[in-house]
Amino acid sequence: MMRKLIGTCLLLMIFLFAEAQTNVFLIGRTLGEKVIANGDTLRVYGFAPSLSTHPPIPAPLIEANQGDSVHIDFWNVSQLHHHTIHLHGLDVDQANDGVPMLSFSVDHMEHGWYHFEAPHAGTYLYHCHVGSTLHLQAGMYGPIIIRPSDGSNTTWDGGYAFDTETLLFMSELDTFWHTDSILDHEHIDGAVHDTLLVPKYNPDYFLINGLSDQQLEDSVELNSKTNYVNYFRLVNIGYCTNKVIFPSSLGARIVDSDGRPLPIEEFSDTIEVYPGERYGVLVESSVPILDSIEVHYFDMMTSELKNIQHVKVDIRVPNQVEEFENVIDFSIAPNPVDQDVRISFDLLKETNLSLRIVSIDGKLMLSEFPRVYEQGKHTLVLSTNEYASGQYILSLSDGNNVTSKSFIKK
Amino acid sequence: MKRALLTLVCLLGFQTIFFAGNVSDTIYINSGQGLFVNGKQMPCKGFNSTPTYENRNAQLSVGIMDTLVLTIVNNDTILHGFDIRGISGYKDTLQQGDTLEVTFHSSTPRVCIYYDHINYPNNAYMGLAGILAVGANANTYYWNIKDHQSDWNDSIASGGVVDWLDYYPDYFTINGLSNPDINSDTTARVEGNIGDTILIFMANTGQAEHSIHFHGYHCEILYSTSSSMHAGRIKDTFPLKRMEGYLLRLVPHQTGEYPVHDHNLLSITGGGLYPFGMFLTILIQ
Ligand SMILES: [Cu+2]
Ligand SMILES: [Cu+2]
Repeated sequence: MMRKLIGTCLLLMIFLFAEAQTNVFLIGRTLGEKVIANGDTLRVYGFAPSLSTHPPIPAPLIEANQGDSVHIDFWNVSQLHHHTIHLHGLDVDQANDGVPMLSFSVDHMEHGWYHFEAPHAGTYLYHCHVGSTLHLQAGMYGPIIIRPSDGSNTTWDGGYAFDTETLLFMSELDTFWHTDSILDHEHIDGAVHDTLLVPKYNPDYFLINGLSDQQLEDSVELNSKTNYVNYFRLVNIGYCTNKVIFPSSLGARIVDSDGRPLPIEEFSDTIEVYPGERYGVLVESSVPILDSIEVHYFDMMTSELKNIQHVKVDIRVPNQVEEFENVIDFSIAPNPVDQDVRISFDLLKETNLSLRIVSIDGKLMLSEFPRVYEQGKHTLVLSTNEYASGQYILSLSDGNNVTSKSFIKK
Repeated sequence: MKRALLTLVCLLGFQTIFFAGNVSDTIYINSGQGLFVNGKQMPCKGFNSTPTYENRNAQLSVGIMDTLVLTIVNNDTILHGFDIRGISGYKDTLQQGDTLEVTFHSSTPRVCIYYDHINYPNNAYMGLAGILAVGANANTYYWNIKDHQSDWNDSIASGGVVDWLDYYPDYFTINGLSNPDINSDTTARVEGNIGDTILIFMANTGQAEHSIHFHGYHCEILYSTSSSMHAGRIKDTFPLKRMEGYLLRLVPHQTGEYPVHDHNLLSITGGGLYPFGMFLTILIQ
């Protein structure tokens, strides 16, 4: 009887003190490939979610709720190079800060573990801090989004509710920096500083979410409805300054920066974003709009305008977009699932879809960047081998509509 | 009660008069050979606190109650100017050997940039631009941020012409120093304890733009030269256009050694070598 009582108490304590935990697994690579807008393939460094995929640029989104305990298992598979993960803006302690000479760096075929308690809701980023001028340009950067404690579509705890969310993660590519002679830089093991020769920077591709020009126009856009609140997360991780210019009819207002609400909101169609900065911007319109957001890239030495990229804005009155509302109907099989789960859907038109899986107790299992799927039938196969038994919610979103279905892992 | 209040008001009034005072300082416009990271040398100019050239510009400071009486001596062989950016009435010139006296007062804490407006931006670029801090406390630090394209210093010093649309600096300094030397400058290297109120007077007096990022901490903007909208913002990255600055308040919540660096990562180089640029650390016990 007594033993049973102690057991119950222990269980209760575990329940009371258990905080949501987010586990992230990333692999550091230096032999990645990326197709750029002219169709060429460039060699890149990056963070890959698995050994069988090239590291995406930007790296996989890390997502957690405020207060969550986030654990990153970082495995370095990079031949001679060592890397780190710096959690930019999260104010983590020195041990987890990812600066090689002040924290630790992760050698080839080694693991490094990073841990932090997700602080204020907001937009952050992560990147390698080894030979950072070269390793960032090579591709080792990705976004981090900390959501409010309840995981809701709100800017922060008690902040603004929004209907759509768009990440614009700006950077550049200098294709010369992606040649073997630059990427295979000398590396002295154990040196306090890695001394690197940095070539002259002359970027020739100007990226948003890793894409430029036609690639960008094909896959990043704001598709929304009149009177929806649309939240933009602007991030600059390049070496140029950005001016993000919203159509004035959207009434853009800046509400947060660097993971903190602004004390006074600023109404401005033009938002300057300098390297390392983040801004949260709310836009909405009561009338339909077909226009574009301009992103300007300026040289920081001369202030010369180097490039302009466009992000399409398509805001319609609800009945005009309803025809698309059911395009993301999907099926899950088998259900219950033992190992692999198949997600099947049939698209009436080319659609930008993102996928999320959350356990019934709110733990984020998977969060994929939006990807373009062609019109027609698709089947995605996902392994659930690492999932604990229980119920999970799988959501597909096209940016406007989210369809969620549950499945049981045996 | 009324009487007590009156006494208090009188006392406060007396205190104001008692503590408000004049501070005197003298700065010299010098020309010389600047010593940079890894032994690099290039011709430079500066507003220094002695008649001998050094990379660091004089760090001027005045309390919010006080008046600064500043004497400027032109120790160089050519015409120079003196101005305080964003405040009218200071613009003046000094011939070789001339002395100029100005008085300055501000009733609010702020960061100001004093500089040579003659032949702008060339003289300022050669080094003639420094920080005037209003409202410094016992935990105050100065970050005077500059950039140089070393061969341009040679050509400007010998009367050559440069095209600013081709600017590509190769040396990046805080108070005239780069990583790792900058960490031994006690006026730049923040050292403190949890809960301290640390003030950082930071200005970009170079001709490139910068974006200063803190690891470990967010800071509050108390004053920005470029927009009153910035005050009160709590950020980890601070964009700096040319000849703009911030007064930041840092109240550390954790111990450790954390970098602060330009997130235009091209500026973490010196002579094309990483990491000999704009990078220092903060140490909190
Ligand atoms: Cu790396
Ligand atoms: Cu960073």
